[in-house]
Amino acid sequence: MSTTKRRDRRAETPHRPERSFDAQPAPLVILALPLAFTASLLALTLLPRLQRSDALLWSFWSAGAVLLAWLALIAVAAIKNGAPSIHLAPPRPQHYIQACCHLTVYAFWGYYWRPVYDYAPLLVGQILFAYAFDMLLSWSRRQSYGLGLGPFPIIFSTNLFLWLVDDWFAFQFLLVALGFAGKAFVRWERDGERVHIFNPSAFSLAIFSVVLLTTGTTSLTWGQEIATTFSLGPHIYKVLFLVGLVVMYFFSITPVTAMAALTLFGGSMLYTAITGVPYFVDSDIPSAVFLGLHLLVTDPSTSPRTPLGRAIFGVLYGVGVFGLYALLGAFGLPTFYDKLLCVPLLNLAVPSIDRAVRAMGDKPLLHTLGLDLPLGRANLAHMGVWVLIFGVMTSVGAADGRHKGDSLPFWEQACAADKPQACARLLRIEASYCGDNAGWACNELGRHYTEGKLVASDPERAFAYFSRACEARVQAGCVNLLDSSPPARANPRAFDLRLLAREGGPNLMTMAEPELYARACQHGWEFACSAATSR
Amino acid sequence: MKVLAILALAATVGLGLEARQDNAPLPDFVEIPAGPFTMGADPAVDPRAFDNEKWSRSASEGTVELPAFYLARHEVTVAQYAAFVRATKAPTDPNPLAGQPTHPVTFVTWPNTVAYGRWLESVLAKAPGLTGDLVRAGWRVTLPTEAQWEKAARGGDRRAYPWGDQPRKDRSNFEGTGTTPVGQYSCPECPYGLADMSGNVWEWTSSPYQPYPYDPTDDRANLEADALWVMRGGHYGDPARTVRTTTRGAADPGARRAFIGFRVALVQQ
Repeated sequence: MSTTKRRDRRAETPHRPERSFDAQPAPLVILALPLAFTASLLALTLLPRLQRSDALLWSFWSAGAVLLAWLALIAVAAIKNGAPSIHLAPPRPQHYIQACCHLTVYAFWGYYWRPVYDYAPLLVGQILFAYAFDMLLSWSRRQSYGLGLGPFPIIFSTNLFLWLVDDWFAFQFLLVALGFAGKAFVRWERDGERVHIFNPSAFSLAIFSVVLLTTGTTSLTWGQEIATTFSLGPHIYKVLFLVGLVVMYFFSITPVTAMAALTLFGGSMLYTAITGVPYFVDSDIPSAVFLGLHLLVTDPSTSPRTPLGRAIFGVLYGVGVFGLYALLGAFGLPTFYDKLLCVPLLNLAVPSIDRAVRAMGDKPLLHTLGLDLPLGRANLAHMGVWVLIFGVMTSVGAADGRHKGDSLPFWEQACAADKPQACARLLRIEASYCGDNAGWACNELGRHYTEGKLVASDPERAFAYFSRACEARVQAGCVNLLDSSPPARANPRAFDLRLLAREGGPNLMTMAEPELYARACQHGWEFACSAATSR
Repeated sequence: MKVLAILALAATVGLGLEARQDNAPLPDFVEIPAGPFTMGADPAVDPRAFDNEKWSRSASEGTVELPAFYLARHEVTVAQYAAFVRATKAPTDPNPLAGQPTHPVTFVTWPNTVAYGRWLESVLAKAPGLTGDLVRAGWRVTLPTEAQWEKAARGGDRRAYPWGDQPRKDRSNFEGTGTTPVGQYSCPECPYGLADMSGNVWEWTSSPYQPYPYDPTDDRANLEADALWVMRGGHYGDPARTVRTTTRGAADPGARRAFIGFRVALVQQ
């Protein structure tokens, strides 16, 4: 039994002894290290990407100034107390493999959404800041700093979910600092080891999410764009699935992902069966949530120890996301925070989950499902089951492919039939397309705010939407500006359809018109069916 | 006492400034009486006319009957538009407000001009005098239709330019390099005493661009086509041919150009 336990622990977090330098470097050399990171951080301000924004420059300068001031204090203390110490932390798979997986996602995502590549210098800046910050934090606590690859997955993971806009980028450094402070200070005893409680990136993301939600400052972030642009890449679910398999293979977190996905998928299916409309607007599991259940909630260090514990953890994450989506939507708040808010709470529940699993003892059913095996031994079997689950999800159209929620006519009909949430979603979808400059959607919104049936009548807002429609050359929008009693409507133009029928993917600007109208016809635009055949 | 006097003076000066800011001169409206007028021009009859001015295959020109309406004597100025922006806090780019206060406002989209009309209507509704009475009686401030515009420009006698049939550089700002203050060119011969109906800036109208014959009831036809809206009068840089009373221009309603402005009309609903 003890042998099995040892093997299990190795499979989960492969520890290698940390290596001290043969002789501690000279104090000046040690202190030069955070100085070098800070200097590199400041050097980034010479890049054109940063030169574009004064606020961004000030953010980097401020972060650099804080680090330099802190370093000066450490240096003064070093004169009195002796030099801080440093040791080499061997590369850990949970650092470099996770970081490689994150980078793969960034590379793919950025290929289809260029702001990601544009963001690269800011990502580098955060890594440099994280190294310097973590080092100074360790020394301030009179601890030796383990120089390894730890900051990479934390920074990468955080930035897969939330960026502050350039004007408020100083807070991005605060977000990073919060994650490392949480890792350093919020710890508990677990299985005889003093370990951090919270997944560092999820901890800071959750705290920032609460602040942004309560202060109504979501617009200071790229959160909404991040949540919706993953789907610009074709086959994003398959890409995330494949990347996730790597993480699963090395860290035995398959039960977390699989059970979270199953819970969300099952809940979504059940909701659709009962109400006739999708729970998540245009997918059964939003792509950003799918990313989260592969690369956010799956930190092995802050997950339960057993497969059953991890399966429960996954179910709870699925339930949490499902519930938060409804809760945030009910309060009119951005729903993309659903995947971020519940992770720290689940981290806190880990000991209880582990205790509950231990209390369950040996159960034949668990044995049959392979959930009573040590993590390492059952992992391949769990992965096999997950492959099967994902295959089923793909075959029923729950991953990639067309989703009925992609169709605007579907939501119009659902709204007319008074299906739950359908009218609110119709408005939200039209607002999103109007924001993309689909003038037809702006005119529809103006119509709703004029008629006052789906939403309270608001002439000023209606006028603003009609103006936007008109400036996008929608004749009906212009006509409505002059006289909107009753509001004029028209079918979407080809230009509008190139946005309205994109199914979460890129705009269809180069699609030939017959193909475009055929696609619109499949979406339920009746006029497009005859147009498709006549073109 | 001295302090009180200074405070009173300061308050007066302050109020004065406030009053000047809020009271940018309101448009001066001119009545265009009810009745028919001749609309359009035929290139076969007047070689200066463009093809889109011809009424129909069988008719060179058309006769259009219009009820009475009022048209602003001048194009809306930068100062007048600035008052609207200040009052409504309407988001705008800096270009419309960058011109000289007495020059016509430019860089305004078609929806901007309709928004200005809405605001002006609310201002006039509280104003004394005839225009205020008309607004309170249900008249609306809007852009003129292209028929209203053309009637106001050429009157009842089919003239090619507001002052007659030949171009005159002393009557209008065209073939030039920039805008001039509204009303700078006096035009005693012009019907109804309107200024700058030829040249200075193109003027947006409330008519969607459709082929003649003109029919005010078909404005809601063809809603699925990309919108283009008629503008009239030509601009400071145009040749004489383009600043005629019958020339029909058209632009994307979202266009902001240095040579497109507008004037407002008061029409009965």
